[in-house]
Amino acid sequence: MEAILTDCVRNSLQHLIYRNAIFMCERLCAEFPSEKNMQLLASCYLQNNQAHCAYHILKGTHMAQSRYLFALSCFQMDLLNEAEAALSPNESCPEVPNGAAGHYLLGLVYRYTDRRQSAINHFNQALSLDPLLWAAYEELCVLGAAEEAPKVFDEGASLCIQKQYIHQGSTSQSFQAQNEEHEISMNRSLGSEDVSPRKQKHIHGHNLRDVSGNHHGTISNQPLNGGPTTSLPFYNTPSPMAAQSQLSGVAPPPLCRNALPNGPSTRTYGADSTPRVTVNTAIPGPRRKFVDEGKLRKVSERLFSDSGQRRSMRLAGESVNTSSSTSIISGNLISHSSKYLGGCKSGMLSSRSLTIRKGQSWASENADEGGHQEICDESRLNISNSSSSPCGGNGSVEPEGAIRSSGALSSSKVIGGASDVLSLLRLLGEGFRLSCLCRCQDALNIYMKLPQKHYNTGWVLSQVGRAYFELVDYLEANRAFSLARIASPYSLEGMDIYSTVLYHLKEDMKLSYLAQELISTDRLAPQSWCAMGNCYSLQKDHETALKNFQRSVQLNSRFAYAHTLCGHEYVALEDFENGIKSYQTALRIDSRHYNAWYGLGMVYLRQEKFEFSEHHFRMASQINPLSSVIMSYLGTALHALKRNNEALEMMERAVLADKKNPLPLYQKANILVSMENLDGALGVLEELKEYAPCESSVYALMGSIYKRRNMYDKAMLHFGLALDLKPSATDVAAIKAAIEKLHVPDEIEDICESSD
Amino acid sequence: MADSSEGEEEGKLSGGNQQLAVDEELREMAKKAAWSVSSCKPGNGVASIRDDNLDSYWQSDGAQPHLVNIQFQKKVRLQLVVLYVDFKLDESYTPSKISIRAGDGFHNLKEIKAVELVKPTGWVYISLSGTDPRETFVNTFMLQIAILSNHLNGRDTHVRQIKVYGPRPNPIPRQPFQFTSNEFITYSILR
Repeated sequence: MEAILTDCVRNSLQHLIYRNAIFMCERLCAEFPSEKNMQLLASCYLQNNQAHCAYHILKGTHMAQSRYLFALSCFQMDLLNEAEAALSPNESCPEVPNGAAGHYLLGLVYRYTDRRQSAINHFNQALSLDPLLWAAYEELCVLGAAEEAPKVFDEGASLCIQKQYIHQGSTSQSFQAQNEEHEISMNRSLGSEDVSPRKQKHIHGHNLRDVSGNHHGTISNQPLNGGPTTSLPFYNTPSPMAAQSQLSGVAPPPLCRNALPNGPSTRTYGADSTPRVTVNTAIPGPRRKFVDEGKLRKVSERLFSDSGQRRSMRLAGESVNTSSSTSIISGNLISHSSKYLGGCKSGMLSSRSLTIRKGQSWASENADEGGHQEICDESRLNISNSSSSPCGGNGSVEPEGAIRSSGALSSSKVIGGASDVLSLLRLLGEGFRLSCLCRCQDALNIYMKLPQKHYNTGWVLSQVGRAYFELVDYLEANRAFSLARIASPYSLEGMDIYSTVLYHLKEDMKLSYLAQELISTDRLAPQSWCAMGNCYSLQKDHETALKNFQRSVQLNSRFAYAHTLCGHEYVALEDFENGIKSYQTALRIDSRHYNAWYGLGMVYLRQEKFEFSEHHFRMASQINPLSSVIMSYLGTALHALKRNNEALEMMERAVLADKKNPLPLYQKANILVSMENLDGALGVLEELKEYAPCESSVYALMGSIYKRRNMYDKAMLHFGLALDLKPSATDVAAIKAAIEKLHVPDEIEDICESSD
Repeated sequence: MADSSEGEEEGKLSGGNQQLAVDEELREMAKKAAWSVSSCKPGNGVASIRDDNLDSYWQSDGAQPHLVNIQFQKKVRLQLVVLYVDFKLDESYTPSKISIRAGDGFHNLKEIKAVELVKPTGWVYISLSGTDPRETFVNTFMLQIAILSNHLNGRDTHVRQIKVYGPRPNPIPRQPFQFTSNEFITYSILR
C-alpha cells in the first residue's frame, strides 16, 4: 500500500496534479507516518507553492533532506533565521545537508542577511562540490567576489564532474545491458531497471534546479523524486535508486505508468519530456491554483512559459547542462540522429531536438489517434521554445543523456563531455563576471566568442543588451534586447533594463507596447511593472510611475532595481526623504547596485550636501569605474566643493572614458567660467557646438560668457540662438532677462547661478 | 495658460475647461503647503478644495472677502493657479471677482493679479506671469486667493478645486540651464 500510494503521489506530481498529490500524500502519511513520507508531503506542498504548509510539516525534523526542505520553506517564507538554523551544521549532523544545494541555499541566506563573507564561502563550497551549480557562481559574480571563470571551471572541476559520473556509472552497472539493448525501445517499453538510474539522475537534475530556482524567492522546486529518498549528504548517492528498484518490483515505475493513460505513443514523450515539464511548472506561484486535470495541458503550457521568465538568472546554467547532453547523447545516438535530423528550425539545440524528435517520431509511428500526436507536437513546441533560450528544465536532458552514457560510454566520453560543458561555462561565466564588474566592453568581447547557437539565446542577448546599457550605448542595447525578445518572447530576464533603455531613447510607443506585452505575459513579475512604471515616468506622470514601481517592489522585495526606480520617482516628485530610503533599501539588497549610489549622490547634490554627494558618487565610481556619467557628476560635486582642480581632472578623465559623452566637456566649461578662465571655457564650448549643434544650453552659456566679456553683439547672437532651440520656460525667462539687461554687467551673475 | 481659457480680455475670464490640461513643464506645487480658509461651513471645509473630487466644494460662511491661504514651507516659484468652479450648479455661489496676492506672510501680501470670472463652468486658468520676462514666475512664500464678490451678488462662495503650478526644477542639479538636445539628455542621467 505504501508503495502504491507513494507511486501515485509521484505520478500526480509528474503530471502536475498537485491537488491529487497532496491528497494522496496525506493518506500516505496517515497510514505510514515516516519522516520520508513527510518529506514527500512537504515537497508536494512546496511544489504547490505552499511553503508554509511544508514549514509546519517539517518543523523539528532532523534528517538531512528534511532539514534542507525545511530551510527551503523558511527561505521562501522569509524566515531567514530559521533557515540558517536548519542548514547550519550542528552536533547531530556535522555537515550542511544536501551537499552543494544546501551550501547554495545557506549562501543565499547569508547574502540576504548581509553577511557577505560567509555567503561567499558557502557559494564557493557549493561550487567546489558541484562545478555545474552555475547559480552559485552567478551569486558570486553579483557579490563581486567571483574568481575568474577559467579558474573555477577548470581541470579540477572537470575531474569533479567525472567523479560524479563514474560513481554513477558503477551504481547503474547492472542496468547497462538493458540500456544498450533497448537503446531505441527503452522509452517505449520502460523497464523498471531503466527507470531507476534515470530517476536517480533526475534527482540530481532537480536538486540543481531547485536551488537555483529559489534564488528568486518565489519558487518552490523540490526534488520531485529525490524528496523521500535522498536523505544522504550528496545527491547522487545510490540509495534513491535502490529504493526505486525495490519499488518497481511492487508496482510499475512511475515514469512508465505516467505514460499509460496517454497510450503508447505518448509514453515515449512522457519518459523523455515529462520531467522537463514538471520541472518547469514546478516554479511559478499562485497560478497553480488553476491547475485541474482537464486544463492541465494548457496550464502547463502557460506555466512553462512562465518558468522561463521567473528563473531568468539561471539560464546559463541550463545551457551548460544542455551542451553536456549534446555531446554525450550524440555519442550514443548518432545512428538514430541521422534518421531524425530534419530541417532544424531556429536555434534548437541539437541534443534537445534529438530527444524530442525521437519522441515525435515514435508518436507518428505508433499513434493512430491524432490527439496524441497533437500532444506530442505541443510538447515539442514547448520544448523548442524553451530551447531557444536555455531556460526551464532542460537540465533533465542532461541527466538522461549522461546516465545513458555513464553506463554505456567509456569514461573518455565523460571527460569530453565535461570539458565541453566547462569550456562553455568558462565563457559564460567570464562574460557575466566581467559585466558584473562593469567591465562591459571586455564582457562583450567574451560573449562574442560564444558559439552562435548560445549567443542567440535570450539570456546571452539580454546580457549583451545590459552590457551596452552600462556603456550608455542605448541604440546597441536596444538592438540586443529586441533580438532577445525575438529569441525568447516569454522571458522577462533583463526586460526591466530594456524598458529603461527605451526610456532613455524616448521611444514611448515601443515602451508602452513592451510594458503591455510584459504585463500580459506575466503580471506577477517585477520586471513587467518596472516597464510600466518607466512608461509613465517617460510621460512625466511620476505619481503613477511610482505606484507601478511600488507594485514591482511588492511582488519581489529583493528586486533591487525596482527600489532604485522608486527612488528616482520620489526624487522627481521632490520627496527626497523617501527617495533616499528607497535607494538605501536597494543598496541593502545589493550593495554593488551602483545606480542607487548614483541616485543618492544626485539627491545630496540637489540638497547641497556636497560632501555626502561626493562620497556617494565615489562609491558608484568604484563599482563602475568606467562610467563617464558618474565621473562627470563626481566632478560636479567636487566643483561644488570648490575643489576646482580635482574637478577639472575628473572631467578630463570622463572625457577620455567616453568620447561620445558631451557632458564632461560642458561641465569643464562651467568650471572654467567659475575659475574666470573665460577663453578656455569658450574654446571648450566651441568644440561642443560641433558635437551637439542643437543644444540650447551651450549657446546660452556662451552668450553669458560673451556678455561678461562685454562682446554684446556676440552675446546677443548666442542668446538668440539659444532661444531658437526651445529652452524651458525658466530658461527663456532667464535668457530674455539677460538680453534686456545686456549692458548692465552685474545681472550676469544671476543667470549663471539661477540654476534651480 | 494662453490656451487655457476662452475669451480672456482685460482680466475677464469666461467659459472653463472640462479637462484639466497643463503644460508638461509645470507641476503641482501645493501638496505640501499649508492650506487655510477664512471661513467655512461644517462639512465643506478646506479639505474639499484639495480632494480631487469635483462633486465636493468649499463653502464660505462669513463676510466677504473670502480667503484661501496657501503657505509654503520654503520660497517657491509659481506660474499658474487653476480653479474649478461651476456656475451651472452653484449659481450665486460662483465667484466672480478674484484677487491673487503673494508675499512672505500675512503681513506683506501684495496683489499680483486680479481677474473677473464670467459664468464659468470647469477649470479656469489664472496665469501669474507678468509682461516682463523676469516676471514669468512669482517667487513667494505665500499665496492668497481672495474672492471679492460672487455672481448675482451672492454672499457665500463655492470653490470645488484649486491647484497651484510652478515650473519643474532642472532635472540636473547645479546647472545654469536645462538641456534640450538628445545627446545631452541621454548622457545627463543614469537610471
